[in-house]
Amino acid sequence: MAPRQHDRDEVFVEYTKSVCPVCKVVVDAQVNIRDNKVYLRKRCREHGWFEALVYGDAQTYTESARFNKPGTLPLSFQTEVKDGCPSDCGLCPEHKQHACLGIIEVNTGCNLDCPICFADSGHQPDGYSITHSQCEHMLDTFVEAEGEPEVVMFSGGEPTIHKHILDFVDLAQQRPIKVVNLNTNGIRLASDRRFVRALGERNGRNGTSVNVYLQFDGFDRDTHLEIRGRDLRDHKRRALDNCAEEGVTVTLVAAIECGLNEHEVGDIVRFGVEHPAVRSVSFQPVTHSGRHVAFDPLTRLTNSDVIELVNAQCPDWFRPGDFVPVPCCFPTCRSISYLLVDRKPHRTDVVPIPRLVNIDDHLDYVSNRVMPDPALRSALEKLWSASAFMGTPATMESLETAAAAAECEACGIELPESAKELGERAFMIVVQDFQDPYTLNVKQLMKCCVEEITPDGRIIPFCAYNSVGYREQVRSQMSGVSVADVVPNAHELADDTVESPYGSRVVADAAEAGDGGQRPVAADTTNVGRKAVQW
Amino acid sequence: MVSAEPGPAWADDVKACCAAAYGTDAVALLLGTAYHPGGLALTRRLAGALSLAPGQRVLDVAAGPGATARLLALEHEVLVDGVDLGEHTVLSAREATVRAGLAERVAFRVGDAEQLPVTDAGYDALVCECALCTFPDKTVAAAEFARALRPGGRVGITDVTVAPEGLPAELAGITGWVACIADARPSADYEQLLVDAGLRPLRRERHDTAIARMVDEIEARIGMFEMTAPERLAAAGVDAEAVRGYLVAARRAVEAGTIGYTLLVAEKPAA
Repeated sequence: MAPRQHDRDEVFVEYTKSVCPVCKVVVDAQVNIRDNKVYLRKRCREHGWFEALVYGDAQTYTESARFNKPGTLPLSFQTEVKDGCPSDCGLCPEHKQHACLGIIEVNTGCNLDCPICFADSGHQPDGYSITHSQCEHMLDTFVEAEGEPEVVMFSGGEPTIHKHILDFVDLAQQRPIKVVNLNTNGIRLASDRRFVRALGERNGRNGTSVNVYLQFDGFDRDTHLEIRGRDLRDHKRRALDNCAEEGVTVTLVAAIECGLNEHEVGDIVRFGVEHPAVRSVSFQPVTHSGRHVAFDPLTRLTNSDVIELVNAQCPDWFRPGDFVPVPCCFPTCRSISYLLVDRKPHRTDVVPIPRLVNIDDHLDYVSNRVMPDPALRSALEKLWSASAFMGTPATMESLETAAAAAECEACGIELPESAKELGERAFMIVVQDFQDPYTLNVKQLMKCCVEEITPDGRIIPFCAYNSVGYREQVRSQMSGVSVADVVPNAHELADDTVESPYGSRVVADAAEAGDGGQRPVAADTTNVGRKAVQW
Repeated sequence: MVSAEPGPAWADDVKACCAAAYGTDAVALLLGTAYHPGGLALTRRLAGALSLAPGQRVLDVAAGPGATARLLALEHEVLVDGVDLGEHTVLSAREATVRAGLAERVAFRVGDAEQLPVTDAGYDALVCECALCTFPDKTVAAAEFARALRPGGRVGITDVTVAPEGLPAELAGITGWVACIADARPSADYEQLLVDAGLRPLRRERHDTAIARMVDEIEARIGMFEMTAPERLAAAGVDAEAVRGYLVAARRAVEAGTIGYTLLVAEKPAA
């Protein structure tokens, strides 16, 4: 009998580049769809095949392509195109988008040693913290690139333990930066009321909003122990109450991990909606960069999974379609919904704005030729953006425009006075999946709009910084201590890695994966056969 | 369950009810300006199946405020005539079209789908979105569609469907806008209407999520007006909690497949 041909069990949809999660060499990669899920697969000539789930719902993944907005050029680039993406960060002139948000990591030290930390921070003696002049240089780099930057986020490590953190906020506010964010675990906010007051006093000064981005993973004791290593529930409560009393707006930031706290997303949303200090929630599937609990790349959480969890756990509030992909970055990286909150005596109702305004009609950049209202499109672009933060003038103004349009679309009559009130009732929910060494796809990286600003004046896409080797490079340069490439703590790599001094995983024998080995010269310039970042 | 077959006593009233309902505050408040499920995305899909070419003439039956007519003119460079039963609706469609700078390519007139005010075989394509279900004499309306098309011309329809056994009892008693869908049919029945009018079916698709989404949107509008203008809801005679109850029932019916949404395309055979 003649051999019979068989079909593949997957649909091949993209050819791209990524890195080997073990040695960080740049490799070809392909994106395939199987059983309505999207996977990225790649092969390292040294370490073999790797595959990871990148999106849980293939239909949403493919349909979100129409939300892809043309990028905006920054005013300046910091590097040249030499070896190609992701080795030239950055930003290099081939980058497709300016920075909506710039992150300044002020230190590597932290007052916690969380089992999950993409920055690999903790009580460590050999890290670094930046100086005033370094901070100024980083801010100036950002201002030179952006003119009037939207958002600066101070992060770490734990930025509140840097003794000059308030000075750094001041330095940012002295520049034409619209929003300053402080990314914190809240321990200092819980106990140091004067510090919270100092932040409150800075909120709105020089036209710059100050917001707190508060790590907040759930309410179960086990969630705290497994993700943070300590039961911080009381700290979080006190931090939030202090922020409410001192007029500091808070975003709850929840890292969500399979089997740990995925059952808590609904409670986090409900808690946030009711707390006076909280105006938004950001859900982030745990980034498997740096330090994290062991995981399986094929069953990790993605944006569509988190959205489904929110819909399932808040069935009275959310339905499919209430979250809309964000056009400024690659639309599969981030989705956002805005709610109008109606607190009634007997219950709280919410109205998702995407049901009132047909966002598709305004943010579809591929098939849309009907342009009814440029002002509304512009407002929606500001809302569906990585630079949107509740309470800031730009976001609130855009919310008023959207609310007015919602009323207008609903009844044909504009009610401008109630639109302002509606904006004040708004609550934002963000779902953002950051890439890791398994899921990295340069297609998305090239349009990333969340950037790390480095002390040496580069602006590096966040996911490149965490996945490709730039974090290790910068830490090594800044601290003078050699730092090995961090390898994801995937079950399948357990035998090939050992624990690093910081708790992350590194290859057992650095020489095996590093630059020591003889590599054949690759004819393909993609597979150049060397580390993506060299130092 | 009740029969989907309209009783003779109220069959004649349905058209008037719908014409009036689509003009009333209650419907405007609940349905918003995008009267049909699926929005512009489904309209685009429908338009894409009509083989439109620049300069062709398209008839939009029950054109409402004219968003579809303007989209067709802009994206397919066709000339569109919109027909609607509501005088006020036609006026506001004209105004919006003038504002969009499309008045030379898109015109509206008052007219009845069962007696279209158009000549025979004058159109290359015809669209009718979420309206056939409201026409009391669907056989006559389908014949009118066929008459308006030139040989080889296509008709594109999207509409509410109801399973053969009819609407669930809990939804049967609703007056006003839901009464309009009380005469919705299974999609195969709509197709048969077109066949009986001499048209050849080309495509039949299910788009049930579009109607589920519309239920969500109605719920959202009620919520918004409770916040901003509860007096408008009251003035329009809308009892928010009662409507919510119906929406729960409607959602259940969509999930059970009793209520759905269909897209149909058919062609008038060439000579």
